[in-house]
Amino acid sequence: MIFFQNLVNALQLGSFYALIALGYSMVYGVLMLFNFAHGDVFMVGAYIGFLVSTGLLTLANLGAVALPTWLILALTIILAMFLTSFVGMLVERVGYRPLRGAPRASAAISGLMIGIFLETFVLWLGGPKRRSFPALIESTTYELGGVIVTNKKIVIVLVSMLLMLALHLFVRRTKWGMAMRAMAYDYVVVPLMGVPLNTIAALTFGLGSALAAAAGVFFGIAYPVLDPYMGIRYGWKAFVAAILGGRGSVLGAALAGFMLGFIEIFVAWIFPSTWRDLIAYSIILLILTLRPHGFFGEPYSAQLRL
Amino acid sequence: MGVESGAIPVKAGRMGSLVSKARAWYSGVPLLGWLLGVLVAVALEHILGRRVARALGMSKEPVLFGFVTMLRDPALLPSAVLYVLLIYLLPIAAVARLTAQLTNRLAATLLSLSSGVSSAVHLGLIYGALHLWSDLSDYRLLLVRLTLIAIMVTLSLNLVNGYMGEFSCSHPGFMALGAYTASVFTVILFVDDRVFGAPLLALPPLLGQFVFPIALILGGVVAALGALLVAVPSFRTRGDYLAIVSLAFMFIVKSLIENLEIVGGPRGLQGQPDWANLPTVFLWAVACIWIINNFVRSTLGKALNAVRDGEMAANAMTVDTRRTKMVAFLFAAFWAGVAGGLFAHVLRYVNPGTFDLKKLAEVLAMVYLGGLNSVMGSIVGAVGFNLLSEALRPLQIIKWMIIPVLLILVMIFRPTGLIAFREFDVQELIRPKGEPQQH
Amino acid sequence: MSKKHTFRLVALLLVGATILGACGPAGPDTIKIGINAPLTGDIPKVGEGTKFAAEMWLADIEAAGGLEVGGKKYNVELVIEDNESKAESATKASTKLITQDEVLIIVGPQSSKQAVPAGGVANDNETPMVSPWSTNPNTTLDRPWVFRSCFLDPFQGPVAANFITEEFGFSKAAVLYDVASDYPKGLAEFFKAAWEDLHGAGSVAAFESFTTGDADFSSQLTNIINSGAEVIFTPQYYNEVALIVQQAHELGWDKPIVGSDSWGSAETVELCGADCYGLFFSTHYAAAGATGATKAFIDRYEAEHGYVPDDVGALTWDTMLIVQEAIQGCGEVSGELEKDRQCVRDALARIKDFDGITGKMTFTEEGDPIKCAVIVRISEAGEFEFYKSACP
Repeated sequence: MIFFQNLVNALQLGSFYALIALGYSMVYGVLMLFNFAHGDVFMVGAYIGFLVSTGLLTLANLGAVALPTWLILALTIILAMFLTSFVGMLVERVGYRPLRGAPRASAAISGLMIGIFLETFVLWLGGPKRRSFPALIESTTYELGGVIVTNKKIVIVLVSMLLMLALHLFVRRTKWGMAMRAMAYDYVVVPLMGVPLNTIAALTFGLGSALAAAAGVFFGIAYPVLDPYMGIRYGWKAFVAAILGGRGSVLGAALAGFMLGFIEIFVAWIFPSTWRDLIAYSIILLILTLRPHGFFGEPYSAQLRL
Repeated sequence: MGVESGAIPVKAGRMGSLVSKARAWYSGVPLLGWLLGVLVAVALEHILGRRVARALGMSKEPVLFGFVTMLRDPALLPSAVLYVLLIYLLPIAAVARLTAQLTNRLAATLLSLSSGVSSAVHLGLIYGALHLWSDLSDYRLLLVRLTLIAIMVTLSLNLVNGYMGEFSCSHPGFMALGAYTASVFTVILFVDDRVFGAPLLALPPLLGQFVFPIALILGGVVAALGALLVAVPSFRTRGDYLAIVSLAFMFIVKSLIENLEIVGGPRGLQGQPDWANLPTVFLWAVACIWIINNFVRSTLGKALNAVRDGEMAANAMTVDTRRTKMVAFLFAAFWAGVAGGLFAHVLRYVNPGTFDLKKLAEVLAMVYLGGLNSVMGSIVGAVGFNLLSEALRPLQIIKWMIIPVLLILVMIFRPTGLIAFREFDVQELIRPKGEPQQH
Repeated sequence: MSKKHTFRLVALLLVGATILGACGPAGPDTIKIGINAPLTGDIPKVGEGTKFAAEMWLADIEAAGGLEVGGKKYNVELVIEDNESKAESATKASTKLITQDEVLIIVGPQSSKQAVPAGGVANDNETPMVSPWSTNPNTTLDRPWVFRSCFLDPFQGPVAANFITEEFGFSKAAVLYDVASDYPKGLAEFFKAAWEDLHGAGSVAAFESFTTGDADFSSQLTNIINSGAEVIFTPQYYNEVALIVQQAHELGWDKPIVGSDSWGSAETVELCGADCYGLFFSTHYAAAGATGATKAFIDRYEAEHGYVPDDVGALTWDTMLIVQEAIQGCGEVSGELEKDRQCVRDALARIKDFDGITGKMTFTEEGDPIKCAVIVRISEAGEFEFYKSACP
């Protein structure tokens, strides 16, 4: 029973890691860059979701518009994703595009700095108060043979998986997706074939950020306390998951995200939880030693380095 | 290679002609002259600083070239500028120019004796200036020591991220290992504290200075052993696996220390003996710069560059790429460990929370600000970042918006950092500059 | 342009400056007090509470025309430094305050992570320091110059254990705490020891932990629920409290959850909502139903900043008043920093039965106050109601 309970717990935690990891993975796959601002884009997405939902709820309470809660939830997710994708594109425009010809690590550092800027900016703008994310889903608890599940968890896990599926289809089935895959294959020659590099880069950042925003909104629903530094820890962990999944593999990143969630939850269950980080990351080290290219990554050939 | 090659193009016009005139005027001043100027300026501050500051309406000497004063009380801006001009800039400019002939001759004489003697004299002057400057306030002293340590950390990370061209995130972890190892060693053996009880060796304090290097080296060795753990899985193949393996390693080290109740867990370890004074830290920093500089200029260092620029090609040219990478990585970790040990003894307190993602961001920022693949760059990066970070302290929260923006600008306009891919040639630095631009 | 000219100019300026310098300001008319607070970093709210309380105190002093010491009025200047919630930065900030700004006394840092090393700096430099909120014994241990104005973890742990035993009669407890943060970890261990003293070995059914910044506690809570524990003790900060309590309820936990003084923030209820109603925690003072000076402070703080002050705010306020009493008790401010600092330290050590808004305080040899803890119940209106008090 405890096993199944923890399975449910891990699915929820894993879906955040997976959604955030996808953003890292796409940028890494298409442009071969680390987007260290991504964790903070996730944070900004959560704050945007907070603003949108609080605004809509206030309007609904005032009676200005008649909105059922489920519609507010849907609107919050969509608007947060839409708005945050612009934040992502802005990050690309400011921190990455001017560094197209520069060493890859320099772009990573400018991303890191954008991240610090975003944290401080939100702290400065919003004050040191932590924000309570409105309860967009009235919590209901179901008990299935000793395993306790809330409707929140079901919605979060299902919608996350739907979003991942949508991304997978987008990358596999559409022309834009094909352009992205081509770029991932060779971003030196493909632009010469008339594929607009800048547009694809912006699209990649935008899509990744939209997913991070969705993760942010879900995070707010599951753990309704927002603070400006929340992106750091989750961001870096998702970064680990992204690379664990293999370069540029949507499926791999998603799977690795879930796996990270599973490792953390099950280690805390089986071993003393004080040792959780140590054991969880040792397991990851072990996996990398055995499968150095991640789950779905191709072994590297001679590739552009720093 | 002249000094000019990396200079920022100056706007033409009056300003430009003035700058180029000044540059021409000062091109004949050797490093020795500048150092002498700095020493005189600092000595001047010792004697006159307080009075000048009072005269200008400040209660005491501005601690960091007036930046802190200006930001805290903008009304004092003219005073602070005037102070810096009077105490630092004018004396330095005057002494450097006026003694140019003398110092050139001196530099030539010293160099003809041996470059070692000349370097020693230069270092002596630098130390003298630092000593006098930091003598005026404990805050400066702390800042100087922490900056010297930052130089060591930055340089050692540059070895991996710059010279080797990998992306490593585990330097805070190595520092933590070094800091804890050195601290445990000194605290167990020499300090009567609550955790470990009476000292095992009740040596007279004077002897401590001689035992301290052993503690630091031990710390470095443990850090290098930790690095082995990262290196073995990471260097089997190419790719960015070092980035996450090292990141995972950092989490592991932090978690390990948090769980080791014997060293205080998250409460940290305190009571380290006060051995990391300015001369000690200075000597270690100089040793670190000297050894790493020799390392990167050695065959192994060149092999490292070859690995970065093309691993397959390097392999074909009989470079043992794996061994080269391992040696360099362990070497870098060693110095990070030593720096960690010094860090713990400067603060006389360590806790695992210090060596987290924030520290990582800081170290990375220093490396990339200063410049990849460059010893001078690392020095500039560490000093620049630390000075900036302290100078902007009065701005409180705004500080962490200004620093990132500045760094992004540096990355955009100089993507490899301020002084990248430059050899640090001591001979070139300390040579006399007889007639301007004579090669 | 000749060398001569430059040289003359320099000489002239220097001589001029020297002459001017001879007539500097004489005698102090300003007392500087350093504040070392985490304005950025993990716990910016704590920094804000510190700053606001200190500034309110300053406003009072300024309204009175200055701080009166020995019949003379002095201006007071607060030098506020941000320690970024980092140990290293707190050390730098304290060093700067002591040597550069030449403050008479330092208030802060707040959390033990910074207060322990900064206390070392203050003690080495013979400058009095009072930490309002650091509960780690090491902060003041063997440091005659360092004081605090809150009780210690070894006292609070047993208070919570006794309270749970007396109130509910439980004998099996679970603890959930942050292993990477010294305050929760220390308190969790003191609670465990006290609980096992009362109920025997093995009576702490689950001793679970997480790491700073975590938001998901489902695995740990699942363990706790399945361990047969009757109560959860969680000495966490307010943001984590909200998450822990809500997740526990979502996982089917319906027994009590008890906390410590780190719950004592208006944000606890704001973030946690109805989930936290009816829960108990031990703390320094109770805001709801307060009377006298405590009420006056709370009302004023709320009017100025829009929320009921956190414990940190109240403790900082008390600390500022203690500092004021010490400076006044000194009799005079001579302007010789060393002498004045020594005098203030001695005056601090002499303070007896100081009547603060968080209780009566007298310092022990170590510089720790002997004061009572209160058990607070979060009412159905979300207010912190006084429930009972526990004195040493």
